[in-house]
Amino acid sequence: MKSPSATLSLPRFRLHLRPIRMAEVGFLVFLAVVMGLPLLFLLSGSFNLAAPGKPAVYGFGNWQRAFTDPGTLSALWMSFLLSVVRLIPAMILSVMFAWLIARTDMPGGRFIESACWIAYFVPDFPLVLAWILLLDPNFGFLNSLAKSLPFVEGPIFNPYGFWGIVWVHTSTGGIWFKVMLLVPVFRRLGATLEEAARVAGANTTAMLWRITLPVLSPMILAVAVLSFIRGLQSFNTELLLGTPVGIYVYSTKIYDYLQREPRAYGEATALGSVFLFVLAILLFFYWRYLSGNKKFTVVTGQGYSTLQVKLGRWRYAALAGCLLYVAVMMLLPLAFLVIGSFMRRYGFFNIASPFTLNHWYNLLADPIFLVALKNSLIIASVTAIGGILLYSALAYLLVSRRTITAPVLESLCWVPHVLPGILLSLGVLWLFLATPLRFFLYGTVWGIAFALILADSPVTTQLFKAGLLQLGADLEESARVSGASWAYAYRRILLPLLAPIAAAVGLMNFGSALTSISTPVLLYSHQSRPLAILLLEYSFTGELERAAALGLLITLIIGSMMLIARKLGLQLSRSD
Amino acid sequence: MKRVIMFMYMLVGFSTAWAQTKASDKEWAAVVDAAKKEGKVVVAGSPDPVMRNDVIPKFTARFGIPVEFVAGRSSQIVSRVQTERGSGIYSIDIYLAGPDTSANELYNDKLIDPLKPLIVMPEVADGSKWKTGKVWFADPQEQFIARAFSGVATWLFINTDHVKPEEVRHVKDLLNPKWRGKISTEDPTTTGAGANMAARLYYQVGEEYVKNLYVDQKTVRTRERRQMTDWLARGTQPICLNCREDDVRPLVKKEGFKILEIFEISGVPSTINGSPWMLSLANKAPHPKAAQVFANWILSKEGLETYARGYGSATLRTDIDESFLNPGNVPKKGVKYFDDTEWKWIVTGRHENRDKVWQLLKAR
Repeated sequence: MKSPSATLSLPRFRLHLRPIRMAEVGFLVFLAVVMGLPLLFLLSGSFNLAAPGKPAVYGFGNWQRAFTDPGTLSALWMSFLLSVVRLIPAMILSVMFAWLIARTDMPGGRFIESACWIAYFVPDFPLVLAWILLLDPNFGFLNSLAKSLPFVEGPIFNPYGFWGIVWVHTSTGGIWFKVMLLVPVFRRLGATLEEAARVAGANTTAMLWRITLPVLSPMILAVAVLSFIRGLQSFNTELLLGTPVGIYVYSTKIYDYLQREPRAYGEATALGSVFLFVLAILLFFYWRYLSGNKKFTVVTGQGYSTLQVKLGRWRYAALAGCLLYVAVMMLLPLAFLVIGSFMRRYGFFNIASPFTLNHWYNLLADPIFLVALKNSLIIASVTAIGGILLYSALAYLLVSRRTITAPVLESLCWVPHVLPGILLSLGVLWLFLATPLRFFLYGTVWGIAFALILADSPVTTQLFKAGLLQLGADLEESARVSGASWAYAYRRILLPLLAPIAAAVGLMNFGSALTSISTPVLLYSHQSRPLAILLLEYSFTGELERAAALGLLITLIIGSMMLIARKLGLQLSRSD
Repeated sequence: MKRVIMFMYMLVGFSTAWAQTKASDKEWAAVVDAAKKEGKVVVAGSPDPVMRNDVIPKFTARFGIPVEFVAGRSSQIVSRVQTERGSGIYSIDIYLAGPDTSANELYNDKLIDPLKPLIVMPEVADGSKWKTGKVWFADPQEQFIARAFSGVATWLFINTDHVKPEEVRHVKDLLNPKWRGKISTEDPTTTGAGANMAARLYYQVGEEYVKNLYVDQKTVRTRERRQMTDWLARGTQPICLNCREDDVRPLVKKEGFKILEIFEISGVPSTINGSPWMLSLANKAPHPKAAQVFANWILSKEGLETYARGYGSATLRTDIDESFLNPGNVPKKGVKYFDDTEWKWIVTGRHENRDKVWQLLKAR
């Protein structure tokens, strides 16, 4: 069978050289300042050996201390192992999910997709506790059920340990994030190639393996890179399930340095630099892959159709598989979380009158709540819209392939993904305070939104880039030949085609802005405190039930926004 | 004649005291007036429901001065303050911080001003209202860091459904093989209560004991305080070394769990500490008068009692009824306690011993 690349070409968006140069220089300066400067501050700070507030003394002491720490290498190895072990099955599953949802006639795809979105934004801390309630060898609900079976002696599940961490990760973020990113690009894939493959006699498996996956490989690889680094940085689950059995991961080491008194940001940055190193290696191979002879355009002006693959009788089996996964990995712990928010003490069913509405009442009656809700909605809306505008333009510029600084621009975009959140927050704090930005951004909701937009750059840019890589240049060219201006062509051709991706990106950034804690933690003030910081405060003071209620409320807000965004995205994509 | 002279003396003494009281009342009133004009006070401290729900509303109701509460982990707050100051921004008025942060960061990095000269509220300046005869300043100059609390620290908690009190009377009882895997602790390999306790045990009982307790006994570690409290309540780990009083007390009072708080154990001296916070005044405070009012008020009967009742800790004031406290929490006269908030211990002793613990546990 002929390779799909033979019939397709990379997009060459026709921008005049001067505007593209101006945009390039503009983005370069902007990204160098907002991404490069904080990184520079952090890196130079990591060589400063002087105590805070004292004149700088430079040396390698912090780096030496960080990397000669006896636990560092073993923690790095454990993080690597955990990240790889959970990445492989999660990638396979998420590609399967995305394909089934977007490319096949499996019923209930929309429901499964929505479930993935909701699952991703459920706060992970109470969800991990829910898994403990289910799997704990002493009091876990599933172990208690299993014990009633005749052939079972002793507990069969145990969340504490390597495999427990892998399992719980698969539930808390494992495939949901990947499915969210992959479904829009799977959906964009024109059916022409698949139809051609069918005519040539290929079965569904061959078609998926030889056509669909190669054509979508840029996004799949980008998601894998994002997920791998995210996995290395993972922390909360390991803290709850690893520490009791002596499993420490790399992020725990970074966290230790960040929590020390006096603070050891130098050592933390030195350890964080490993993420930069890993990213550099992964990006090198990613770019090499993209710059090869492979071509990924799937939406052209010629006979674009998105017919779905017919699964026949397997469609119900596929649905059952998806539903089973969603039920076990999401609904089961989520049910415990919902119940937990109504319990006097989360997970304690044996106390007298265990249920109460008090936590919800206390949450809604907290005078800070309404202010924080308003702040969060402003921050999340600005982050969502700002991210779409900024990174769609940047991705357009990168995909146009007429920039000479694309690798630099793209590397700068990845910076926030490799910095632990608190270090990014510190870097942005330095940026604000060292520049005139402090006069209108520091301590305000706008400043937090600005920082969150920066934090969103890797995922958002990659999503838009992958979407644009799928679009053929002939679409835009036809419009331009017909006399349409670039702006008109952009509005009438590209934007509607990108609308589903924009809606997905906007919603994802909206949700991230509502739930992000580490980015605003050094930037908020009393007036600009968002809900996520309130959630942190509740968790910090052991008010877990109220935190669970707030977490659910945030999930509800995101769920409502999802419905609106999906409607908007679909309307835009259909308007043409 | 003698009587007349005595009467005259008493009259002069009474008039002087009355005049002083009037003067300090006047001074206090002037400070409050100036504070109201500043419009607000910014307090930095740990996220704390007592602060948010009780202390701040009461202060604002009393003086009409809104409180902006910057809540967060000490390390994060100090980072932020240092970075702000590098750019000439001074946003914090008052710190309510733990002893480590107060001594090793705020004091050491010269982020605070002397507070002692600003203590003017009559009932705070009055030495008779304090168990120590005056407001206790913990720093070497006795000027900067006010200590308002001094309670006996809980040594450990036990779930009496699983552990009888007589089974843990001596510190070495914890090494009984029966308790292997049954004791929980906050992770001693990172900064925090777990490491502080391990450092204290290393100093008081010795290296071998620490090794036996934390390694051989397979003490279960966590960094999540809620997890420890739940283990204690369920009996999974019925002995808890670092559970917090404010987490456990509701379990006993509201839910009826059989959990016992043990303050004294043979083989080691009992410990007192200044938990939950020590008070200091930021230098170049943006609202200096409002900061002064808050600092004085939080040390007053009303301020300190509000906090003490919410948190459940013993204060150093003499005029606060302590019947709401667990009797074990109140230091006994004549007993020699190990002071976990003593300056030298915080600045050097604890760090040295903690480093030794970390080496022993191969954490560093």
